[in-house]
Amino acid sequence: METGFLQVLLNPARFFEARIRDEPSLKVPALIALICGLIGAVSALIMADVTTAMLPAEMGGLGTLMVVFSTAVAFVGGFLAWIIYGFIFHIISMVFKGQGSLNRTLEVTGYGLIPQVFGGIIGSIFSYYLLSGLTVPAMSSAEEIAAFSEYLVTVLTTDPLAQVAGIVSILFLIWSANIWIFGMKYARNLSTRDATLTVGIPVGIYVIYLIITLIGWL
Amino acid sequence: MKDLKFLVLALCAALALVSPITAAPADITVVSSSLDPQVMMSGDTGTLTIVIQNNGAEPVAIQSARLYGKGVVPTTDPYLSVGEIGGGNTKTFTFTIRADGGEGTFYPTFVLDFREGGSLRHPVAIQVEDTPLSISMVEKPDAFSEGRTAGITVMVGNPRPNAASGVQVVPEGTGFSVTPTTGFIGGLEPDASGSVTFNLAPETETDVTFRVVWRNGINTHTTDLVLPVTFGEDKKRANPVITNVEVTPITGGYRIVGDVMNAGLESARAVMITPGSPAVPIDPFRVYVVGTLDPDDISSFEVTFRADAGVDEVPLFVEYRDDDGNLYTSTTPVGLGGGTVMTPVKEGGSGGFPVLGVVLVILIALGVAGAIYHSWKRT
Repeated sequence: METGFLQVLLNPARFFEARIRDEPSLKVPALIALICGLIGAVSALIMADVTTAMLPAEMGGLGTLMVVFSTAVAFVGGFLAWIIYGFIFHIISMVFKGQGSLNRTLEVTGYGLIPQVFGGIIGSIFSYYLLSGLTVPAMSSAEEIAAFSEYLVTVLTTDPLAQVAGIVSILFLIWSANIWIFGMKYARNLSTRDATLTVGIPVGIYVIYLIITLIGWL
Repeated sequence: MKDLKFLVLALCAALALVSPITAAPADITVVSSSLDPQVMMSGDTGTLTIVIQNNGAEPVAIQSARLYGKGVVPTTDPYLSVGEIGGGNTKTFTFTIRADGGEGTFYPTFVLDFREGGSLRHPVAIQVEDTPLSISMVEKPDAFSEGRTAGITVMVGNPRPNAASGVQVVPEGTGFSVTPTTGFIGGLEPDASGSVTFNLAPETETDVTFRVVWRNGINTHTTDLVLPVTFGEDKKRANPVITNVEVTPITGGYRIVGDVMNAGLESARAVMITPGSPAVPIDPFRVYVVGTLDPDDISSFEVTFRADAGVDEVPLFVEYRDDDGNLYTSTTPVGLGGGTVMTPVKEGGSGGFPVLGVVLVILIALGVAGAIYHSWKRT
């Protein structure tokens, strides 16, 4: 159980303490990022389905293209998030004179994405419930499509279900941040305080941004 | 014998001094007679003027002058003591007469009685004809509408052989307003005509009597023309028609865009389009003001409203006015398309907040907090 996923979630300190003794391996973290990407792709598929339904029949080809593109972007987004988080943590940890390879940083960052898998699943379920109750009318003009898009944005920002989904994603992000703190502590040989700052600063900023978005200030 | 001759001469001289030389009655002639009005109507009162002239060199003594006859009778007393009329002079006699005998030509006789005996009789031809002025409707609308002003033109003609004076047309009745209240035409020569136009705005279905009032001499006569006013569909009135309607769900409601076209023959003014109940107009297009739509003109419009779930049809009211400002309203039902309903966002989220979601958030929050607590407890 020292290297199990449950250990990562509930006792990350011990997990990374043990994991640090081995050579860095990105296989499992990449798999976790892949799963995150797949879940994101499913969410994007649900959203793209609604968007495609808005388009006139003669624009069906464009709709298909939009589905493929948005799904691909969401899928790649899982990997991008992993790499971006890793680079940011690695760069910030340099300020605290962190020592350790980038691969190690990416490894611990990847493990920290596990809560995002759960958050992604729950978010996808919320998205499905949110958008499945929406009947998309047939539209023929750009003005109609723009009006419906505006409505869609309003639904996604003001609907209680969407707000619940936002809060859930923030909670899981905080959980990931907790894992990343311990991961960075061991990966970059930081003190607990420095590791907390390394992870807390960017994640805190992002959480604040998400809260502001949820409240509707943006 | 010598005395007798002197006596005769003296008598003759006395006679010559006492009584002047007198002209004979044959020298008196009627030189003219005139009647006002020239042609009377039954019951009319007229003025007959007769002028006589003494064509002789000596004056003629006239005892009396009178007029008598049947059908046309004098209403004034005869001249009982006229006196002498000098040589070459004229004298005028005026009689007021009344036509009592119906239509026809009458010949009342003018009689002059001379003081020295004998008389002059002169029949005067007087024509009596009852033909009235004619009145006809030249222009009127196909149908009347309540409160809508309609132009009505009345023509008055004079088929009589003499002129009519002071001709005017007076609309009479109730349940309408009209301008002008009286149409004045004035004098009408024989075979002449005159027109007058009225703007009539009926308030109820009624009969409008156009009364032609005129004078024949000093006698006032009337002729009526009755115009029944019944309400009906004006075939020329504006007819705004809504076409090319598109219903689009928007945030919290619907948007209807379409075209409104005037399929009538008259202009529709101040055209406004608004959704009616059960729809509730909302911004930004609670009402769309099109303005004036001439015949065959077309204009686009846009209205926004909200409607409760289950409403599948709402009326669109088109309000417009005619040139006189009368308001008209037409209604066009518009289907909302059933499946195109976009559920309006619940305001403030009250009543629609998912309890299950809140519970889930709380559980996840507790789980995450527990996991974080657990992870830090072990360090």
